[in-house]
Amino acid sequence: MEISGSEALWRALLNEGVEMVFGYPGGAIMPVYDALYDFADDIKHVLVRHEQGAVHAAQGYARVQGRAGVCMATSGPGATNLVTGIADAMLDSVPLVCITGQVSADLLGTDAFQETDVIGITIPITKWNYQVTTAAEIPEIIAKAFYIAQRGRPGPVVVDITKNAQLEMLDFEPVSIQGIKNFDPNPSLNIEYVEQAVEAIKESDRPMILCGHGVLISQCESEVIDLAERADIPIACTLHGLSAIPSGHSKYVGMLGMHGNYGPNLLTNESDLLIAIGMRFDDRVTGKLDKYGIKAKVIHIDIDAAEIDKNVAATIPINADAKTALQAMLSLVEKAERPEWFARFAECAEKEFSTVIDAETNPTEGGIRMAEVISRVSELTGGEAILVADVGQHQMMSARYYKFKYSNSWITSGGLGTMGFALPASLGAKAGAPERKVVTVIGDGCFQMTIQELGTIAQQNLAVKIIILNNNYLGMVRQWQELFFEKRYSFVELENPDFVKISEGFGVEAERVSTRDGLMTSLKRMLDSDGPYVLEIVCEKEENVFPMVPSGASVSDIRLE
Amino acid sequence: MERLYTISAYTENHPGVLHRLTATLTRRKINIESLTVSETEHRGISRFTIVVRTTPSLISKIVKQIDRIIEVVHAFVSEDNDLIFREIGLIRVAADDKNKRPEIEELAHRHGAVVTYATDSSLIVEKTGEEDDINSLFLLLEPYGIREFIRSGRIALRKSSETRELGSPSGKGEDIGAATVDFQQR
Ligand SMILES: Cc1ncc(C[n+]2csc(CCOP(=O)(O)OP(=O)(O)O)c2C)c(N)n1
Ligand SMILES: [Mg+2]
Repeated sequence: MEISGSEALWRALLNEGVEMVFGYPGGAIMPVYDALYDFADDIKHVLVRHEQGAVHAAQGYARVQGRAGVCMATSGPGATNLVTGIADAMLDSVPLVCITGQVSADLLGTDAFQETDVIGITIPITKWNYQVTTAAEIPEIIAKAFYIAQRGRPGPVVVDITKNAQLEMLDFEPVSIQGIKNFDPNPSLNIEYVEQAVEAIKESDRPMILCGHGVLISQCESEVIDLAERADIPIACTLHGLSAIPSGHSKYVGMLGMHGNYGPNLLTNESDLLIAIGMRFDDRVTGKLDKYGIKAKVIHIDIDAAEIDKNVAATIPINADAKTALQAMLSLVEKAERPEWFARFAECAEKEFSTVIDAETNPTEGGIRMAEVISRVSELTGGEAILVADVGQHQMMSARYYKFKYSNSWITSGGLGTMGFALPASLGAKAGAPERKVVTVIGDGCFQMTIQELGTIAQQNLAVKIIILNNNYLGMVRQWQELFFEKRYSFVELENPDFVKISEGFGVEAERVSTRDGLMTSLKRMLDSDGPYVLEIVCEKEENVFPMVPSGASVSDIRLE
Repeated sequence: MERLYTISAYTENHPGVLHRLTATLTRRKINIESLTVSETEHRGISRFTIVVRTTPSLISKIVKQIDRIIEVVHAFVSEDNDLIFREIGLIRVAADDKNKRPEIEELAHRHGAVVTYATDSSLIVEKTGEEDDINSLFLLLEPYGIREFIRSGRIALRKSSETRELGSPSGKGEDIGAATVDFQQR
């Protein structure tokens, strides 16, 4: 059957099971949008307001669906607007297929209207990219793009399609791929290392599991819990590992990293065995590397060989899918009990509670505090919501104080720390998980980076519950200026617009609350509303996130105040 | 301590691979001492030979990052004593004085080089060897006047004859059937 390249693109996407695409049209992708006109019943296209919104929405969608998100943009400025999100997905291992239009093949390299070297620009921030210049390539390249984006360690793929390829005719046959030459997404498990790992766990007095994003990707949450329960091992999560383990689980001891919990950070340097699962020892987790895990052997389980020994040398390297590795370990691991070791974590938790958490979450005077908002949201939603957070103090407070009940319920920009991520990501998350409550927590600074996506949310009537924690500051930067730059507040204060009016202007219901007395009712009203809702919460202006591992310090130099 | 390493990478023959490969090095500010790309015994597969100077701990990280590039079939690193390696030097020597020509030819000959081209005013001497061999010939020819000098990048084979089967995934992932799609051939 002879069809156009554009039609072939949609058929190839359908063949991959794609149900939703986030995009924005323009000259070099018009044939694709024209073909979409006939596929509107089969694929839902969400028209965003800026291409950055499309890519972050696709990320949010990918995270809740556990498969590749798809976004689409025209050449030139459309494609370059995707760049931040692609880089974000690369660092956070989010599977994406980004399709960009390109000028006709005969114009390539001539500085044609809206021509940019998208392949060149995205090489360092993609897992793979490819420029299609003939229609005949489309079915195979799309199949390959999905295979690569989703298999092994997931990541973003860019397919740049020249306009002539969109218009040319081809004989279409659906392609499905069982494997790609030279790309092995599933490295085989070395059983010797598994045995060594089991032995190391047996010999260890103070082991600790570091649970990363890979646990969610590999869907081995229950294996991690089994291991922790059987061998009595505390589990700490990285920022992206959050929600993999229910916050209330008896083996869960909290979050790692710069603003993580006191115990997991401090005790990293008392542990004699770190069992790292699907995490990459990011500098926000390790602090000063040569003072990290100073007494510990390291078991490092990661599907990406390049992560092993990259930052922290592995005593026992296990380059494999985490689920496969853990299942093999579980068949060998022996029961153990380590009450004294757990008591150390309990002591630390107690200390953190009395010096930080209690005052933060249950204040009686002063302005509303971010931590109390998150705690109340956590209580009101029963920990059952998908929580999306932007970047800054409000993000760290969300990570610290929401008590997750279900896995895969936490979406934020970790590796790149992209301000403006949350609003579009939350609309993607809601679109991908309509049955779940989606609450997004955004700072006043972040909100203004992608505020236009309120338009998308309104047009699609996506019931995202948007909380703006407004401190009239770029709070996280202000905190650093206060602590490390002698309180020289350099360009961090914001004179903000009326967020309620703006939201209403977009057609989104909105209200503002600034007193503790009104907080609960406002939160309830927001959560009980049917559609999208913006709740601006005026917060204490100068609060700081603690505990904190100052940048460049050792994890055990974590400060409680 | 920095040392000299030779990275060999089999890759799909595909535009963009060079960029992806060198980006791995440039983001860590590693300077490329030499770079050669050529065809191999496998159709559609190129071989990159990249010489870099860096530390032992960095080189293994870099090679793993190169190896995970989708288009890279297989990458490995070697040090000089594990390798047979060659470069080619082309040296244009001044020879306006016709009487000096036999002398230059004789010198080249003695050092395993040949005069491959002659003009009225110069001779082009071609020398294949290791970097040091080419450099020492350069020094010997210097007194005659060197007009132009160019040296190729290194090509290298490992001394050991162990080879690797290319073209099939190295692991045996359950999802990977025997029918792997070969994009190069289509
Ligand atoms: C695109 C981008 N620009 C700058 C930064 C640096 N940065 C990190 S947090 C932050 C402040 C965020 O302010 P706000 O959204 O008000 O959140 P708050 O910290 O006040 O909760 C800034 C500027 C960033 N992460 N991303
Ligand atoms: Mg703020």
